Amino acid sequence: MSADATLLADLLGRALYGGAIMLIAIGIYAVVARYNLMRVLLGLVLVESGVNLFIVAIGYRADAAAPIIVGGVTDVAMVDPLPQALVLTAIVIGVGVLALASALLIRVKETFGTLDTREVARVLAADPAAAGKSTGSAVAPAAARETANAGSAS
Amino acid sequence: MTSGANTLVLPIVLPLLGAFLLPLVARFGDGLARALGIMLVVVNIGLGWLLWSGAGTEVAVTALGGFEAPLGIVLYGDRLAALFVMVLAVGALIFWPKAENGGVKAYTLTLLLVAGGSGLVLSGDLFNIFVFYEIVAVASYGLTASAGNKDGFGAALRYLVLGSLGSSLVLIGIALIYAAAGTLNLADIARLAEDKLTGTTGLAAFLFLVLGFGVKAELFPVNTWVPEVYAAAPMRVTAILAGVVSKLAMVVILRLLVLVFHDPASIQLLMAVALVTIVAGEFAAYRASDLNRTFAYSSIAQLGLVALALTIPGTAGILAAIGIALHHAVVKPAFFVIAEKWRGPIAGLAGGAKVAPAAAGVFVLLSLSIIGIPPLPGFWAKLVLIGGAIDAGGAYAFAAAVVLAATVVEAAYLFRVVAKIWQPAAGASPARFAFEDLSPAMLLGVILIAATLFMAPIGTALSGAAASAADAGSYVARVLPGRM
Repeated sequence: MSADATLLADLLGRALYGGAIMLIAIGIYAVVARYNLMRVLLGLVLVESGVNLFIVAIGYRADAAAPIIVGGVTDVAMVDPLPQALVLTAIVIGVGVLALASALLIRVKETFGTLDTREVARVLAADPAAAGKSTGSAVAPAAARETANAGSAS
Repeated sequence: MTSGANTLVLPIVLPLLGAFLLPLVARFGDGLARALGIMLVVVNIGLGWLLWSGAGTEVAVTALGGFEAPLGIVLYGDRLAALFVMVLAVGALIFWPKAENGGVKAYTLTLLLVAGGSGLVLSGDLFNIFVFYEIVAVASYGLTASAGNKDGFGAALRYLVLGSLGSSLVLIGIALIYAAAGTLNLADIARLAEDKLTGTTGLAAFLFLVLGFGVKAELFPVNTWVPEVYAAAPMRVTAILAGVVSKLAMVVILRLLVLVFHDPASIQLLMAVALVTIVAGEFAAYRASDLNRTFAYSSIAQLGLVALALTIPGTAGILAAIGIALHHAVVKPAFFVIAEKWRGPIAGLAGGAKVAPAAAGVFVLLSLSIIGIPPLPGFWAKLVLIGGAIDAGGAYAFAAAVVLAATVVEAAYLFRVVAKIWQPAAGASPARFAFEDLSPAMLLGVILIAATLFMAPIGTALSGAAASAADAGSYVARVLPGRM
């Protein structure tokens, strides 16, 4: 490998870390400073991608090959395959959590009529007995269960 | 594979398998699914007991798939892990979800919670801990929403946002540790911690891990979900989350402290977090105007006490942490049972002792124990904590003073409620309790009294568990024989 190519690969390694940290920062900003729950979820996705990129970057080596052994053991340097295996798991978990979050997001929109997290927090912080009665406008099946719940609680 | 292999793998695998079978079994009737779920939880109590009695002579270690540590994934079942496998299963048994709150879906999620929680305390591998932590997290989000009402959905989504941010922080912490030490096996990291993890990287990793696991462990500043979720979730879910699941995250923090992060900087960091958690929790509980929120904030303060106990060096600290955690696991769910019926402002509870004398009696018993009146178990737990803190001296003496001050605040808000209950009713009197409504609280009250009577043998058993959990050397030697 020529000196130029090594330098380029080295720069790429640093860019990976920079990109990962930037993604995490943007994501955390969205989660903390935005009030629309859809944007908050997108922020979570960004944080997750940033963290995954960070983990892949840890195993990266500028002058190494992909960790695939073809036809017996070779003596070339390879990038660390373990972080890649971890990221694979983390991505799958992330997809599952995101699916659950989307389902809850739809239910929140249906029952609250808004995705503003301040509005949701205001309702949740209100007196629980009063909150139980104010859910008459909820979607039909949820409302029925709600009434049953409120009935057993009083 | 050692002989204890099955008792280590089964508490995770059986409930996990059950969780996937339950929706299929439910096709033949919900009652069958309920019976199968409860049976699996009972089996887990038995497995935890086998693990506990086996760990007295030989701690079980299993390398999954036959790959030896540090390359393979290990499970480590000492008495601490066995204890919490049992506590989790007992909690799930007493507070098995009611049919009207989600039905089979809630049973499935409870089994997932039991599987993930058992994995969390048994795992000897950082990345596996992350995976089990996520299983526990997803199950708790689902259970929070299982009442199927507006508050449940809102609280679950806000909980999920904070929870996944926490999981990402855990993952960053794990990545930093892997970058520095090149391994994910806890025993292997413990071996290398002295060289590789004492500097800034180690402290940063610990900060991320404490913030991440702190979401479930209700530590400041990532515990904002607690009052919302505990008020919105069905009572049985709240009881499990507050009573047991928060302690499982503490067990992970305990392992990290004992094995990896025992340098002064990490200890001071956790101590600061713990003290702020205690003070913020007790004062918020004092300001709360309804029972549910009072107990939610008081739960935060109690977990702050557990975290503080963990910072005290040696076996005394671990023993205090286990003691307070177990005591809280008995007392707080019972409190939430009472809070479910007595919703609304505390001012409306006047006359409670007249309409529901049994509930009022249990409330007083629980209050006395959590404040720490001898001879109830809460007294002994706090005594070990304060004794250990004073023995350690220095900043710990200050911490002991904070704990005593917090106890005064705790007594103030609990006795305020007790006084209110014994006042004559003004206007509508509070709700009565049907026997089945109060029975979980009464059962826990009986456990509390039994623990008072058998304090000596329980103390000895817990001291043994604490001593073995505090011994990092034997953990490494057992997981990595011949590598010391």
